[in-house]
Amino acid sequence: MRSFWPIYKRELFAFFVTPLAWVLIAVFLILQGMNFYWIIDTFATRVEPSDQTPLQAFFGNTVLLYLVLFLLIPPMTMRLFAEERKSGTLEPLMTAPVSATAVVLAKYAAAVTTYLAMWLPTLLYLVILKRAGDVDLKAAGAAYLGVGLVGASYLSIGLLMSAATDSQFLALVMTALVILALFLLGIGEFVARDGSLLQAVCSHVSVWAQMNDFASGIVDTRRLVFDATLIVVPLFITTRVVDSWRWG
Amino acid sequence: MISVSHLVKRYGSRVAVNDVSFEVGKGDVVGFLGPNGAGKSTTLRILAGFLGLTEGTVSIAGHDVVSDSFEARKAIGYMAETAPLYPEMRTSEYLLFRAELKGVARGKRISWVGSAMEQARVLDVANHRIGTLSKGYRQRVGLADALVAKPAILILDEPTAGMDPNQIREVRSVVKDLGTSHTVLLSTHILSEVEAVCSRVLVIAKGKLVAEGATRDLAKMRRTSAALVTVRGRAEDARKVLKAVKGMGAVKALPEPGAAAKDDEKTCSFRFTGRAKDEVDGLMLVEQAVAALVQAGLAVREVRAAEGSLEDLFAELTGDPISTDDADDAGADA
Repeated sequence: MRSFWPIYKRELFAFFVTPLAWVLIAVFLILQGMNFYWIIDTFATRVEPSDQTPLQAFFGNTVLLYLVLFLLIPPMTMRLFAEERKSGTLEPLMTAPVSATAVVLAKYAAAVTTYLAMWLPTLLYLVILKRAGDVDLKAAGAAYLGVGLVGASYLSIGLLMSAATDSQFLALVMTALVILALFLLGIGEFVARDGSLLQAVCSHVSVWAQMNDFASGIVDTRRLVFDATLIVVPLFITTRVVDSWRWG
Repeated sequence: MISVSHLVKRYGSRVAVNDVSFEVGKGDVVGFLGPNGAGKSTTLRILAGFLGLTEGTVSIAGHDVVSDSFEARKAIGYMAETAPLYPEMRTSEYLLFRAELKGVARGKRISWVGSAMEQARVLDVANHRIGTLSKGYRQRVGLADALVAKPAILILDEPTAGMDPNQIREVRSVVKDLGTSHTVLLSTHILSEVEAVCSRVLVIAKGKLVAEGATRDLAKMRRTSAALVTVRGRAEDARKVLKAVKGMGAVKALPEPGAAAKDDEKTCSFRFTGRAKDEVDGLMLVEQAVAALVQAGLAVREVRAAEGSLEDLFAELTGDPISTDDADDAGADA
């Protein structure tokens, strides 16, 4: 695991030295800023009291959050392994004394760090809200935990897709499709017959329902277990894939 | 330092490396010679720990590459064919990253990177982005990377591929210098490269080790191996006569430059080599060939000693001519 640190640093360097990371962060902040502006505007001009807080509206009950993740996560992860395989730099990397686990975790940690850096400026929204009224900081913490976990699981899936192909474009498309499929499965909660097994399954895997809960400050252990599974399983498979390049 | 025994690598049903065994001792500079697609890169990748092996054992500085891969990889500096690098990094940044990755202690990193850059002669591009470097410089940055952790063993896959003659000369002299302090195994498909830098040579063809020995012996073989002859007369007759000479190896017709005006002025050229097994002296073979041609009523216009090529060497060693790419062509190995 000693090799984790240099690879992590190099991956972050690669993220931020290319314009891609900056473009993604800019797009993200513009979209989220517009969303926030729109929510504040609605709340400020509303006459009747609302049954939810601006925070809930920002993190839950909105399709915009998923749209942003759907658009931004795949380009963040597509190059992680696919680029190294295509350009051949995987060879010097894997012939250095490194373990597959260290390589996978370092690349993943760099992606997660970039993702969190993307969210960091949105903490300013809390400051703005706090000047206008009360903010439930526990609920805000839960909401950030929620987007952190959802993002981390999508990034883990993206990393696996990038290891599965040496084409960055294919990795991008496959990651987007899996994220879309997971989202649609969650929508099944509202489509499936009430009380059916399908509905129960869909509500358990629904990212939508999860974010609604988290934004209201409800952190359900079952959701945490589900997210942890979505993070750990793809990471584990990716490690096996990387190992298989050597011994396959 | 390197010990390979009965190494086999299969891709599905295709055998890339077939029962190869060799040893490389401490301080040796060994050339791994073979045409494109012979299995050189595959073998070196297995030694470097990038590819798994199907059968056999490989040990690097006493560490098995399968069961003790980590320690084995620590002992070598490996330069992959075409030296793939991260284009967005600067040379010194890249080498510092590689030094840290290979576990060079923090306090030594800067000085070790400095000495690797000096040895590989890339100090003048230390602050250039790798993406902007020429092929020759990139190749040498790859060499600096192999050197940076001061490994005991260097494995270099076609270190001079794609370079111009000046750069080739420089890299060869670098490798020659390294040979005094390192154990070096380098692959190439250029015969003269082996003669220029290596003390020993391993010859591989179609995944099999076909010869092994001191470079001197190889050079001897090469000096007497081939001749060119131009004959006036019918090409079929000349070929038949040449083939019948005792100890004759491969006879290859050469393309004629321009058609002759009249039938009786038609000439044809052949390039022929002796069979190593017959132990016929190369010069004796030329004498006999000329005598046979004259006896058969063919007029000999020109006889010239030709430089033996890698193809000739292989024909001699394996007994059958194999098709290879142009010996100086920098193609990619399978």
